[in-house]
Amino acid sequence: MSAILAIAAKDLRVLFRVKAGLFFAFAWPLIIAVLFGAVFSGSGDSGPQGLQVAFADEDQTPASRDFATLIAKGSQFTVQSATRTQAIDLVRRGKLAAALILPKGFGEASQRLFYGAPPQIEVWMDPSRKAESAMIQGLLFQRAAQLMQKKMSDSGAMRGSIRDGLSKLNDAKTAKTIDPRQRASLLRFLGGLDSVLADTPATPSEGTGSQPAWQPLAVDQHDISRRKEGPQSGYDITFPQGLVWGILGCAMTFGIGFVSERTHGTLVRLQMAPIDRVQLLAGKALACAAACLLIELVLCLVGVFGFHVVPRHWLFLGLACFSSMLAFVGIMMLVAGLGKTEQAAAGVGWAIMMPLSLFGGAMIPLAFMPHWMARIGVVSPVRWSITAFEGAIWRGFSFQEMLLPCGILAAIGIVCFVVGTRTLRLS
Amino acid sequence: MPDEIPISLRQVKKQFGALTAVDGLSLDVRRGEIFGLLGPNGAGKSTTIHCIIGLIEPDEGEIRINGTGKPSQPAVRARMGIAPQALSIYEVLTAEENLAFFGQLYGLTGRHLKQRVDWTLDFVGLKNRRSDAVKTYSGGMKRRINLAVALLHDPDIILLDEPTVGVDPQSRNSIFDNILALKAEGRTIIYTTHYMEEAERLCDRVGIMDHGKLLALGSVKSLIAERGGLPLLVVETGGKDIEMRSADPLADLNRLAASAPVERFRLDQPTLEEVFLNLTGRTLRD
Repeated sequence: MSAILAIAAKDLRVLFRVKAGLFFAFAWPLIIAVLFGAVFSGSGDSGPQGLQVAFADEDQTPASRDFATLIAKGSQFTVQSATRTQAIDLVRRGKLAAALILPKGFGEASQRLFYGAPPQIEVWMDPSRKAESAMIQGLLFQRAAQLMQKKMSDSGAMRGSIRDGLSKLNDAKTAKTIDPRQRASLLRFLGGLDSVLADTPATPSEGTGSQPAWQPLAVDQHDISRRKEGPQSGYDITFPQGLVWGILGCAMTFGIGFVSERTHGTLVRLQMAPIDRVQLLAGKALACAAACLLIELVLCLVGVFGFHVVPRHWLFLGLACFSSMLAFVGIMMLVAGLGKTEQAAAGVGWAIMMPLSLFGGAMIPLAFMPHWMARIGVVSPVRWSITAFEGAIWRGFSFQEMLLPCGILAAIGIVCFVVGTRTLRLS
Repeated sequence: MPDEIPISLRQVKKQFGALTAVDGLSLDVRRGEIFGLLGPNGAGKSTTIHCIIGLIEPDEGEIRINGTGKPSQPAVRARMGIAPQALSIYEVLTAEENLAFFGQLYGLTGRHLKQRVDWTLDFVGLKNRRSDAVKTYSGGMKRRINLAVALLHDPDIILLDEPTVGVDPQSRNSIFDNILALKAEGRTIIYTTHYMEEAERLCDRVGIMDHGKLLALGSVKSLIAERGGLPLLVVETGGKDIEMRSADPLADLNRLAASAPVERFRLDQPTLEEVFLNLTGRTLRD
């Protein structure tokens, strides 16, 4: 046993002295996990951003300023003030999604109730951005409705608008532009509404006092934090990939290192020592296993403490780590038996492992992979390793569900180890 | 006589496909001697060494170590140390780490391991570089640490496969001194080389191999006397060199001097190189 431990300790020491091996074992998978995690998580932790629009107020009335305030309020819009020319230019250069322009007359038009032309807003945007166009129109109607609600809940301001409307309807010049029957109806309606509001105390818009402002609908919202079924962030998807890259790099490094022992002659000394072949292979396997587990531990700790990748089930994560380690120790032995030289072993090893990595989900996350690729991936140990990690981290696998990928990984490990040790030439 | 013959080969044959690397080799190596196995590259020296240490199983024949032991037995291998032709050390590790690792494989632990590491580093003159990575060593220093690993577990039998390849003169002399010191301690050494002058300087007996066969076996002196041919007399007279193989150089020199004035002369004694040339019809470095 001491010889096995000595070989394992020596191999680990050599791994930590070779910077390239260390980089591919530890740094590379971390880069993969963090970089792709950041990509899949959007722009990081900055939170949702509203539609970026330019806003030009050419009317400069209290009503237009109220509307501008409503537009800027909330998270749906990120508003940049500009002149008409600047606003349109910003959209033309693709800097912003849309230019919103309140032309002169907006305030006056918004004072008219139930007659005449409505207040206008100009929206300038790229016609190809259809989804954003629809969204902007919806949001603008929402703001207009909010403005109307505000006005109607303030009886004083409302009466002012009604009286203004009545005087315009009674004006001979305006009267000619409206159908006489419609004019008579409007006069009756506005007169009646004015009488109703006259009996109602003037209520400020926010409804201070004993009576709240009138609203068309009162929404009583209750928040329930629903359990999220999918990944909590992009890192939940990319850390399993990083873990697999780490142990894959480790297996390749140890496999090629084994071949290197043969070409550099150190294997002759190992065989000359009073140890048998089983001890020698066990020492090599133990070193690779320890390195794989160490890499998994380091990446898991970085994921948990640095990127909030919290597994649903810690025990299952341990099971995924152990079974993946078994598979890749077997692959290490297979790689060692593949070539007579380091170059041959590395060439053949990566030629096999790269497509297995691609179809297994180490490059394209399994969740985003085309169906046909995912079907091919079932032959890849990478696929089962990622499935096991994802099962433990965010897929919420049961123990029975974990058994399938973990069992397949263990079987792959055993088969590869046996084939590898049989094909491995020590001398 | 097993105590006197620690290594015995009988009709050993090893083939790699169509190539016969060792062809019916029989020899006995005596305890406490330095036995030189000479021959050009590809003669079968390294294959013979690998058969002796148990790395290669001969197709035919028998190898006995210390009387009855087969080299495939771990206990038998534990009594042998080898410095392979390739530098079989981990270059990213320090000399001390290399020695400690190989010592552990031979069951050395604790204080005993440390003592042996200290002794071997001192023996090969690398004590002051013990903590440096081997990759920072010169070629000669690497050869010396390669030798040190072979000596770590205090073996009775030491096999040195071309231990001076690519070594500077200073390290070469240091290695020669080490080998002679090991012989003085009573260890049995097999030394393979294709440098005849090394064999002449170090070896008590030599076996000359070519194409897997042992062509000659004996002490250096006896081989030269028996197979080296006559000494070469070179005489410079009248601005010209006259070379002749001579059984009686003095008489030949007097005869030449009587006919013309001798400006300069020298007498070259035959070497192992001539022995090999006479045996094979070609030189060692062909």
